[in-house]
Amino acid sequence: MENAKILVVDDDLDFTKAIKVVLESEKYTVVTAADRTEGMEKIRVDKPDLVMLDVMMSTWQDGFEMSRELKKDPQYKGIPILILTAVKGRTGIGFKSTAGDPVWLPVDGFLDKPVEPQILLAEVQKLLSKKA
Amino acid sequence: MEPVPENIRLVKRAYWLIKLRWIAIVCVVFGTYVSSNVLTITLKAFALYSIATLLTLYNMTVLLLLNRLAKDNKEIPWIAVKTIINFQISADLLILTVLLHFSGGIENPLVFYFTFHMIIASILLSTWESYLQATFAVLLFGLMVLLEYQQLIPHYCLTGFVSRCLHRDGLYVLGTYFIFTTALYLAVYMASYIAVRLRRAEQAYKQVNTSLHEKDRIKDEYVLRVTHDIKSHLTTIQSCLGVVVNKTIGPLDDQQADFISRAHSRVIKLTDFVKTLLRLTEMRLSDELEMGVFSLRNTISNAVAAVKTKAEGKSISLNCNTEPSVDKVFGNPFSIEEVVTNLLLNAIKYTPENGKVTVGVKNENDFAVVEVADTGIGIPENELGKVFQEFFRASNARKVERNGTGLGLSIAKYIVERHNGKIWVESKENNGTKFWFTLPKGT
Repeated sequence: MENAKILVVDDDLDFTKAIKVVLESEKYTVVTAADRTEGMEKIRVDKPDLVMLDVMMSTWQDGFEMSRELKKDPQYKGIPILILTAVKGRTGIGFKSTAGDPVWLPVDGFLDKPVEPQILLAEVQKLLSKKA
Repeated sequence: MEPVPENIRLVKRAYWLIKLRWIAIVCVVFGTYVSSNVLTITLKAFALYSIATLLTLYNMTVLLLLNRLAKDNKEIPWIAVKTIINFQISADLLILTVLLHFSGGIENPLVFYFTFHMIIASILLSTWESYLQATFAVLLFGLMVLLEYQQLIPHYCLTGFVSRCLHRDGLYVLGTYFIFTTALYLAVYMASYIAVRLRRAEQAYKQVNTSLHEKDRIKDEYVLRVTHDIKSHLTTIQSCLGVVVNKTIGPLDDQQADFISRAHSRVIKLTDFVKTLLRLTEMRLSDELEMGVFSLRNTISNAVAAVKTKAEGKSISLNCNTEPSVDKVFGNPFSIEEVVTNLLLNAIKYTPENGKVTVGVKNENDFAVVEVADTGIGIPENELGKVFQEFFRASNARKVERNGTGLGLSIAKYIVERHNGKIWVESKENNGTKFWFTLPKGT
């Protein structure tokens, strides 16, 4: 999907900047937000084709809650969500095993931070082509 | 080691009493036989054999009662166990008195055996209960002696052991009874004194143990928080350096590229280390793994697929031999996949090019046994015992790979033990290594 618009929601501004550069190198348009409120606002205004979310922002589950909110909304539930985080569960299993569970973690993809640029770009492409 | 709850320990002691009684029964039968047939002492052998039979029946009843109690509820109430023990000791005192009556009464040196009962009571019961049991013994024995003295019940003289009957010899009876009474109370006093001190010391150890566990948990939480923070910074550093290393924002000259890629690869190694440490700490802090029945064969295939490229890179042949009869096991598939992947990655890392790595599964009673074998550099014999220790790395492993964490096998051991399994290793330096671990089968 050429020139797709990607929203990156992460409170780590240095990380967001690095991700932005990687995505822009593949001609994607990148919009960034530092928290859930700003993220929701950018979704309304910019209508991104993909949302990339961090889990732990102002509260430790912000990313999960935001993804649940988006998937519940008929207007936005078609937007693929890619969770990109360093948080791991306390149960001894990464969230990866539960990603895709429509109730608990309704997201389309999940990657552990740090992620290699090639892997990130491949995942983004996969999710965008699915949407298209 | 977890402290054993008091009631579980009392149940064990109740079983111990039963064992002691079996020994006593054998001794009664043997003693009666030898005394009457070899030493030709006059004895009421029939009565004594009958008492031994009665004792056998009584012991079996107590055993059945205890087994039933233990089966009915996992935790036998404290009061029930105490009552059983009190009842057993009282019954034993009564039986010993009857036994004495039929074997010479006050003439029989078997009276000393009452002291053992007092020591047992002092170990198992509270001090006042022990004194109560001593009083019961003194009264029982006194009653028997008195009735025999007054000739209200017959006296069976131990002819052949004593030259004359002593039950009507007032001074002997009084003297023996006095010594008997003081001996019993003194035995209770001394044994209880020691038992109470021991119990107090044990209590203190338990408290120290609990507080150490708590401190260990606080330390783990601290490590978790710190490593988590370090990891999030490292993640960002790695991502920022990655942009430069991959020349996403423009070209670099050779020297710049060299230094940046050195920094980048160091950050990657550090991140891996911190991630592994985080994983181990999470494992230590997590109360329970989510367990279920899963296909071990699928899990092993996933692990093999994950390391295939690494093996191919070193032209190592990677074989998988799983017995078709073993598949379903009980546990957490993700954790077990992590264990197998860890073992396979180690095997590949420490096996020279063109070597061989094999993973297999065997059936063994209620367990599935997973084996990971390689033809690698092996582990020196004197270091084999330490390979599962946190941060330990074998001396020859350090030469092959400078930057290992020394945590992979600790995590594997931790996971396997959380599954009630065992993990062990066999190896010879320069002659390959074999790791095994067991997992309970799923139904």
